[in-house]
Amino acid sequence: MSKKKKLVVQNVEVTFILNGKKVTKQIRPSLLLIDFIRDELSLAGTKPGCLEGECGACSVLIDGAAVNSCMYLAINIHGKNLTTIEGLSDVNGLDPVQDSMIKHGAVQCGFCSSGMTMSIKSMQIKYKKDKKKPSKEEIKKGLEGNLCRCTGYVKIIEAAEAVINKVK
Amino acid sequence: MEFDIVTPTTKSELLKAIKTNKNNFRFGAGYTDLILELKKKNVLNVTVINLAQLNDKKFNSIERNLKFIRIGALVTASSIVNDKFIEKNFPVLQQAANNLASAQIRQVATIGGNICTASPSGDIACALVALKAKCELLSSTGKTRTVSILEFFLGPRKTAMKKDEILSSVLISLNEKNINIHSGFIKVGTRRSMECSVVSLAYHIQSDKKNLITNVGIAIGSVAPTIRFAENACGFLIGKKASSLARGEKEEFAEKVLKYASPISDIRATAWYRKEALFNICKSILEN
Ligand SMILES: Cc1cc2nc3c(=O)[nH]c(=O)nc-3n(C[C@H](O)[C@H](O)[C@H](O)COP(=O)(O)OP(=O)(O)OC[C@H]3O[C@@H](n4cnc5c(N)ncnc54)[C@H](O)[C@@H]3O)c2cc1C
Ligand code: FES
Ligand code: FES
Repeated sequence: MSKKKKLVVQNVEVTFILNGKKVTKQIRPSLLLIDFIRDELSLAGTKPGCLEGECGACSVLIDGAAVNSCMYLAINIHGKNLTTIEGLSDVNGLDPVQDSMIKHGAVQCGFCSSGMTMSIKSMQIKYKKDKKKPSKEEIKKGLEGNLCRCTGYVKIIEAAEAVINKVK
Repeated sequence: MEFDIVTPTTKSELLKAIKTNKNNFRFGAGYTDLILELKKKNVLNVTVINLAQLNDKKFNSIERNLKFIRIGALVTASSIVNDKFIEKNFPVLQQAANNLASAQIRQVATIGGNICTASPSGDIACALVALKAKCELLSSTGKTRTVSILEFFLGPRKTAMKKDEILSSVLISLNEKNINIHSGFIKVGTRRSMECSVVSLAYHIQSDKKNLITNVGIAIGSVAPTIRFAENACGFLIGKKASSLARGEKEEFAEKVLKYASPISDIRATAWYRKEALFNICKSILEN
C-alpha cells in the first residue's frame, strides 16, 4: 500500500453577482476565474490570450475595476460583483464604450476587443468617481495592460478618450 | 495546477491554518506571482493559504500616527497609488507602485506579495528599501517581531522570514519636520511598464531649511541578486548642500552607488548596459 497521501480537494461554495444577477456555485479551489467564466458559466466573450497577465484579453470587471481573469482564483469572486463583456450591454443596446469602439473603428480582428472594452470601462468608472478628466497620457497608461496586434492603438485610444471625456 | 486551499477570514483562523499546515503551504495574496509559479512547477500536494478574503485591520489598511505610517501586507499597488498622504510624503513609493505592471495587475498585486517574492526587480520592495522600512512578521504563536527591510532579503527568493511567519505589515518613519524632500523612482525597462526592469533606482533625500542633506535612502533593483541599499552613497551625501553639488561629487556619488551593483547579462540587457544606465540615472537625480 502506498503511503503517499493523495490530495483530497473539496469544492468551495461561492456567492457573487454575475452581470447583475446573484449566483451561487460550487468551485474547485484551484480553478482560475477565466476557466470558470468560459467553461462553467459558458460565457465565451472573455478571451484567453497569453494566460500570463501580459495581454489583457481576459480582462473582466470586479467591483467595477478591470483585472486579469487568467491570474485570479475563481473562489475569490465570493461576495464580489463580476461583470464580463456580456454584462455590459442590456436590452436597451450597447454600452457607450462599445458604441465608441465601433464608431472609431477601433475593432479589427476583435480578439483584444472585449478586454480593451473592459479596461476602458474601468477607467470610465474610476474617472467619473474621481470627477476627473484624464489626459491622453493617462488613458494610454490605463491601457498598458492590453495588447492589440491589429490596430496600432490609435483608434482604440481615440475611442477611449471620446467616451471617457465625452469629446467628439 | 491542482491544490487545496484554506481561506481564513480572521487572524485567529489564519494562525490556525499556518499551524495545521506546517511546512507544506504557500500564502496567496494577489496571485500575480504565485499562479505562474504553481503552473510552471505543476506542484501537487501543496495547500494554499488564501489571504484574499482575510479581514484584519493590520493586514488590510494604511494607518499612521505621529511617528510612522503602517501599510498592511494586503494593501494593493493601486491603493498605494491613490493614497494622497503617500503621494505627498513618499513619492518614491507612489511612483514605484504606479510603475508596476499594468492597471489590471496593480488592482490585485499586494505590497506583501511584492516584498515576499523577494525578486531583485520588485518595484515596491525597492522603494521600501530606500525608505528603510521595517517589516512586521507575525508568527503562528501570535507574536510579532520587527525586521528592517535592509536585513530582510537574503538572496533571490530568500528572505529572513521563518517557515511559520507571515508578513503582516510594513512601517515607514515619517519624514523629519520642516524639510524638503527629493524623492522618486526611476525604472529603465525594455518596454515601458510591463517588463520587469533592466535597472531601477529608488531615492528619498531629505534636506533642511538651509538645503543641507540630513537623511538619504538610495536603493537599486535588478542589478544584483537582491535589491541593494547603497549605504556608502547615502553617507556620502549627508551634510552636503543639495543645490550646489559639483560635477565631480555627482560622479563620485554615482560611483559609490555602482559599487553595490553586480549585474549579469541576460535576455533583457547586458551587464555593461545596466551599469552605464545606472551611472547616468544616479547622476541625473542630483541635477536640479
Ligand atoms: C505581467 C506581469 C508584470 C509584472 N510587472 C511587475 C513590475 O513591473 N514590477 C514588479 O515589481 N513586479 C511585477 N510583477 C510581479 C508581481 O505582480 C508583483 O511582485 C506583485 O506585487 C506580487 O503581489 P501578489 O499579491 O500578486 O503576490 P502573490 O503572487 O500572491 O505572492 C507572491 C509571493 O509572496 C508570498 N506572500 C504573499 N503575501 C505574503 C505575506 N503577507 N506574507 C508572507 N508571504 C507572502 C506568496 O507565498 C508568494 O510566494 C509582474 C507580474 C506579472 C504577471
Ligand atoms: S490572457 Fe490574461 S492577460 Fe493574457
Ligand atoms: S483588433 Fe486584433 S488584436 Fe486588437
